[in-house]
Amino acid sequence: MPLILCHSPKGGASTTFTASHLAIGLSGMDGSDGIGGDITLLTLSQSDMTPLHFGLPPAQRLPAFGAAIEAAVLVSGISLRCEPFAAQDPDFLARLDDGGFLAADSARTLVIDVPAGEPALASRLMPHAAVHICPLTASPDCLALLPQLLEQDEATEGSGTAYVIGKLDETRRLARHVAAFMREVLGDKIIAKIRQDQSVPEALAMLQPLSRYAPASAALADVRQMADVVRGMLEMPASADPGQTDSDGAAPTRPAPGASRAA
Amino acid sequence: MRADARSLLDRLGRSDFAYKEFADRFSDLELWPLFEALLKDPRLFTQEIAAAADMAAGANEAVSSPAIAGARTAEPAPPPPPAPLRAPQPSGAETLAELFNRYEAEASGTTPQRHAQDVRAMLRRLSELDARGEL
Repeated sequence: MPLILCHSPKGGASTTFTASHLAIGLSGMDGSDGIGGDITLLTLSQSDMTPLHFGLPPAQRLPAFGAAIEAAVLVSGISLRCEPFAAQDPDFLARLDDGGFLAADSARTLVIDVPAGEPALASRLMPHAAVHICPLTASPDCLALLPQLLEQDEATEGSGTAYVIGKLDETRRLARHVAAFMREVLGDKIIAKIRQDQSVPEALAMLQPLSRYAPASAALADVRQMADVVRGMLEMPASADPGQTDSDGAAPTRPAPGASRAA
Repeated sequence: MRADARSLLDRLGRSDFAYKEFADRFSDLELWPLFEALLKDPRLFTQEIAAAADMAAGANEAVSSPAIAGARTAEPAPPPPPAPLRAPQPSGAETLAELFNRYEAEASGTTPQRHAQDVRAMLRRLSELDARGEL
């Protein structure tokens, strides 16, 4: 059933890149354990760059979430959808439920890319997400957000937020120090670092998937590792207590980030 | 990827480069007042305080890294045993971490303020990571 939320409070933190490659990584899994298989990537951004990450031209329009199957855009077995006005739709969650994405026994996996400018929408989705992936950059502005992020995590009783340090350039002293500070503060909640890699924008400019344009890309290797870690996180509740819900009856119990790595 | 980069990777038998060794001097790590400002922010401590409460109640989970845990305890950690006086050693005989640890041990006796120790504990941890090539 996994619903995976990708949202960063800071724009430009590679959230769309992360969501796209997470969907690609999970799509390579057969779905026999409820993870992978039928993957939908839903972007809620009004200025969406998702098609570029799949080698599609920018003019490619993605169908709405509720559009007919005939209108689907399928790339590598992933159904790409968009819902740019979900924040204004009071029935959005109900529609996700109707689509079977919130059911504990659903065989479908939904990766949702929520833009930085929609924190309220992300908050609505968070209780229903198996994992919340929060990309950050190793920059002072993201670092300054850490207290706020931890406070929000505490307020939502969320232990399912996992952080990813994106665009990490370890040749830069400040970036190294900020990343080290983040590791100290967040510990196992940081599940991956994705190195700064010029081949990522080059692949976008070439209208090619990164895996085709630069199979040896450092960022590609990193994001694949991240997908493996996320898969491990998703497997944890399945073996422990599948379908466990909280008192609202809607939100699944979320595994602690890093739990799978520690296992 | 550029052809010359790909060629070099092929010759090295690697799929990508990883930057791992960049020496940072201890003093360099102190240049960022943002770090110190964040360590003063009580919101950064909320989860650790809750975790500490859980541990006090018998929970077994340890969720904090040693440096942060040390920095967030209500009481300052007991000072390390005084470093024995010793003559200067030949260059390279003392590791960077030992040098900084000794510096901290000497400095902590004259600046007992908790805040200063918080920052120093964090910076020491970063220095140790750097000395091990993990920074």
